[in-house]
Order: sequence, then C-alpha cells, then structure tokens
Amino acid sequence: MAAPAPSVTVWLASGLMVAAAAMVAAAATQPVTHTVTIELMQFNPAALSVKPGERVVWVNKDLFPHTVTANDKRFDSGAIAANGSWSYIAGKKGEYAYSCTFHPTMHGKLTAQ
Amino acid sequence: MKAITFCAAILVSFCASLAWSQGAAPNDAQIAEIVVTANQVDINAGKLAETKAQAAEVKAFGKQMVTDHTAVNKSAVELVTKLHVTPEPSATSDSLKKGGEENVAKLKTLSGSAFDKAYIDHEVAYHEAVLQALDKTLIPSAQNAELKALLVKVRPAFEAHLEHAKQIQAQLEKGA
Repeated sequence: MAAPAPSVTVWLASGLMVAAAAMVAAAATQPVTHTVTIELMQFNPAALSVKPGERVVWVNKDLFPHTVTANDKRFDSGAIAANGSWSYIAGKKGEYAYSCTFHPTMHGKLTAQ
Repeated sequence: MKAITFCAAILVSFCASLAWSQGAAPNDAQIAEIVVTANQVDINAGKLAETKAQAAEVKAFGKQMVTDHTAVNKSAVELVTKLHVTPEPSATSDSLKKGGEENVAKLKTLSGSAFDKAYIDHEVAYHEAVLQALDKTLIPSAQNAELKALLVKVRPAFEAHLEHAKQIQAQLEKGA
C-alpha cells in the first residue's frame, strides 16, 4: 500500500499534536482531589487543608450511613451510604468545622487557604 | 423514683446477662448469636423510641439505633453465612433476649419524659455493658479472624452511641 500523500501526513500529525496539547491542558486544569476516609466512626484525616477550588472526597468505609455537615451549614452531604462517597469543592477561603449529624461525637475540620 | 429503681434493676440485669459465667469462653457460633441478639434488642427498643419518645433528640437517637444496629446485624449475618457458622443460643444470648423483652415491656407502660429518661438511661447501661462484653469476652474469644475483625470494626460505633446517649441523658437531666 502506498504511503499517504505528504499533505495528509502533516494534517494527521498536526491533528495529533492538537489533541495531545488539549490533553495536557485538561490535565493541568483538572482539580486536585483530596480524600477523607470515614471509618471506625472517625474522619481521617480529621483536619484537612486545601486550596480554594480543590476537591475533597469523603469515602464512607463504615457499615452504616454518615453525613459531612458543616457546623455553619455551608455544606451538607446528607446521608452517605456505607461504601458510598460525597465530594465538595471549597470555593472560598475559610475554616469549616463539620460533624456527622447522625453521630454527634464525630468531628472534622476543612480549611481552605 | 420509680424510674430510677427500674433503671438500676435493668442495668444490673444487663450487666449480669452479658457476663459470660459458664467458665469456658463462648465459641464463634455462640458469639454470633450474642452479637445478633444484642443488636436486635437495641433495634426493638429503638423502634419503640421512634414512635413513643417525646423529645426530638430521643426520637432521633432511637431511629439512629435502628439504622446502625440493623447494618451491623446485616454484616454479621452475611459473615456467618459466608463462614457456614450457624448462630448457637447460649445462656448469655437467652438472657439478653429476655432482658430486652422486659425492657420493651416496661417502656411500653411509660410515656412522655418518663419514657425518654427510662429509654436513654437504659441505652447508656446497655452500651456500657456491650462494650464491656466486647472487650472482656467477645473479641478475645473470637477464633475466626473475620469474625474478630467485624467485632473490632463495630466497637467504635458502640462507643459513639454510648457518648451520644450520655449527652442526651445530661440534656434530659438539665431539662428536668
């Protein structure tokens, strides 16, 4: 089979480069994700600092539902089922103490700075 | 005064029922039955509190006990099924069951703040007794590693429930 005409090769190559550049750009703008594990009736880590715009995912590894509820009600996950998760992006700088509304002995703190 | 006497009696009966006094340690099948019964007892009391409690926080606590202990029992049943262990009744599980039935029967005769106080006082005593049983008998005696791991995994929930019940108990006392 004949090689493609030079113009087609150039077109293909430039197309690939554009796609690659787009992928790099997407990776660069992909928000950083932090994970807080909910297990043994604790948030781990209990205190987490992130930059505004970064994503935090809470993963519930306990056998029953928990919530991630800011004391000032800025965010509230509602019930996160066993083996479920919930994510939140802290938009503004601030310190947000939170707890589980089902289990008031569980406390955590999210700091966006 | 009546309520206090009742609670003291229930506490004693619970501690007595959870103490393993047969000499030999319970086997895994007996531990499984004790765990399932202990959870079921608290589910039954919680269901009653969901409908009969006066204070909103007591009602919510009852609902929470139903949710959490049902989940623990689901995992316990799944595990023993997987392990081909048939839960085996023992004097401990029998008396736990009887203690739970007596508690529910007594609670049914109460209403309003008397119900709330009796239910929460019993929850404090019950969770203290279960924690003691987990630490002194159930966790050390469990032979199967997965059964032991499940007991260890659920222990913090009993601790959190105990603290939560104590907080409500203190609020009820302040309000009384």
